[in-house]
Amino acid sequence: MKTVTAGPAEWPASAGLEGELIKLSAFFLRSWRMSRRNAFTLFEIVFWPVVNLLSVGLLITFLRAEPSTVVFVLVGTFALSTVQVCQLDVAYAALFDMWSRSIKHQLVAPIRPWHLVLGSWLMGLVRGTAVFTLQAVVTYWVFGVSVVAHGLTPAIALLVGLLLSAAAVGLLVCTLLMVFGLRAEMSAWSGVSLVLLVCGVYYPVSLLPVPLQVIAAGVPLTHFLEAFRANLGYAPVFTTPLLRGYGLAVLYVAGGYALFAWAIHRARRTGMLLKLSD
Amino acid sequence: MNHVTTTESAVEVRDLHKTFRTGWPRPRLQPALRGVSFTVPRGAIFGVLGPNGAGKTTLLSILATLLVPDRGEARVLGLDVARDAHRIRQRINLSSGSASFLWSLSAQEILDVAARSYGLPARVRRPRVAALLEQFELTAHTRVPYNELSTGLKQRLALAKAFVNEPELLILDEPTVGLDPDISVRIREQIAELRRARRMTILLSTHYMREAEQLCDEVVFLRAGQILAGGDPDTLKREVLLGDRVELVVEGEGWRGLSELPGVLSCSSAEGRVQVVVDDARKRVPEIFRHLDERGVPVTDVTVTEPTLESVFIELAR
Repeated sequence: MKTVTAGPAEWPASAGLEGELIKLSAFFLRSWRMSRRNAFTLFEIVFWPVVNLLSVGLLITFLRAEPSTVVFVLVGTFALSTVQVCQLDVAYAALFDMWSRSIKHQLVAPIRPWHLVLGSWLMGLVRGTAVFTLQAVVTYWVFGVSVVAHGLTPAIALLVGLLLSAAAVGLLVCTLLMVFGLRAEMSAWSGVSLVLLVCGVYYPVSLLPVPLQVIAAGVPLTHFLEAFRANLGYAPVFTTPLLRGYGLAVLYVAGGYALFAWAIHRARRTGMLLKLSD
Repeated sequence: MNHVTTTESAVEVRDLHKTFRTGWPRPRLQPALRGVSFTVPRGAIFGVLGPNGAGKTTLLSILATLLVPDRGEARVLGLDVARDAHRIRQRINLSSGSASFLWSLSAQEILDVAARSYGLPARVRRPRVAALLEQFELTAHTRVPYNELSTGLKQRLALAKAFVNEPELLILDEPTVGLDPDISVRIREQIAELRRARRMTILLSTHYMREAEQLCDEVVFLRAGQILAGGDPDTLKREVLLGDRVELVVEGEGWRGLSELPGVLSCSSAEGRVQVVVDDARKRVPEIFRHLDERGVPVTDVTVTEPTLESVFIELAR
């Protein structure tokens, strides 16, 4: 046994912004290191998105669609993959600790819920952007259509919207996990599918019956896709789609965060935090 | 608002209650703590003892701010666990026998993430992580993924992680549960050494009486969410009226008057051996010998046994 030295006064923690950023970095680095060592990361960011893109792309080519229709459908496909990958990273904020049963050892530290989700979301930005870029390259290389044909700005606006949407979905998944435990794990894999039908991933929202259009209006992804597709000549059903999309996404992220913070407090009250640790 | 109170106690608990609700749609109530009160002086190793399901983990979890109490008051380092939880977390840490960490991270990475969670800058974090790896003899395993470490190494890593923020109060929940005896001994030595070196307050839950006896300055016995007894181990043994056991081998019936002597709690005989339970063997054995000598009763053998916390526990659990 080695002699233990040093006391609290020697090494104080950083206060203010520096301290907050260091806490944030804990969760970004944690996700980065876990991701780097996990062979399935390649499946998440390369295999499944590309296989999905190629399947849908080949189908739409077989149906002899116009080039603008090919882009219409493929953009929907890789929007969905980008949201799925990025929201998974946010969900990992809770899932990693639950799978390893270490959540109480994590939450005994003086961290706020936003350190946890923002740090994990930053990793989602990296992986989501990688998936988006990879799919854009494959789309151009295999199908000869470019998502930046109408400029870089619409593509970036779409990507930012997708990453914000992913944060909202991820926060909802984290909340469900914190309330119901690992019984809600499926929501991490299927959460995005809930909006698949209504937000016009593969078809214009105008095809939907009016009641479903009302629901679609409440989903940010609908508006981000409409805004991008407007450049391809598809008139949006809803006015000022980008503004609506960002407005809704920010609202959902704020609401999702409030719910997640409540769920952590509830877990401390009900003992769920202990159940998830032992 | 400043909730800090000037106090010499590291922990003050008053009438603490916690009930869990399990099941749906008709929740079943499971009382875990029922009016627990005690005080832990600064710098002490304080043991929370009791059988499984006694409420030890619930109590420690409330003090670690992982659980919110239903009723009563708990103050840690002068701060209220309900209102000042975030500030308490800066100054405490927790390690448990069942601790687990992310399976792919190495020992060094686990400590690094933990240190970052406390906002430690690189100039502090790096030397501290390196020092902890060395102090807990993990240097040779720095880059080994967590799921490839042995149970003993995992336990040492859990303890090392609890020191990243140099806590004023360390909460150890069953730190040696499920470990081989040799590893348990090493962990206990490490806990004792840590207290000596850093003069920190340690709150320790265990159902190993020997561990409590070896390490703790004070203990409380919990059963079914209530404190049955508390105090320093030596006093407690006497308070529960177990006393010291004096076994004598004597001839004849001259021993019968022993029960009348002061300090003798009970006296019985079987197969030529007389069992005398006294409040303090050091004081009473000479008086017993004098009494027997005056009556001409020869003593051919004598054995004195002090009670253990284990026997106190068995007595209390009856």
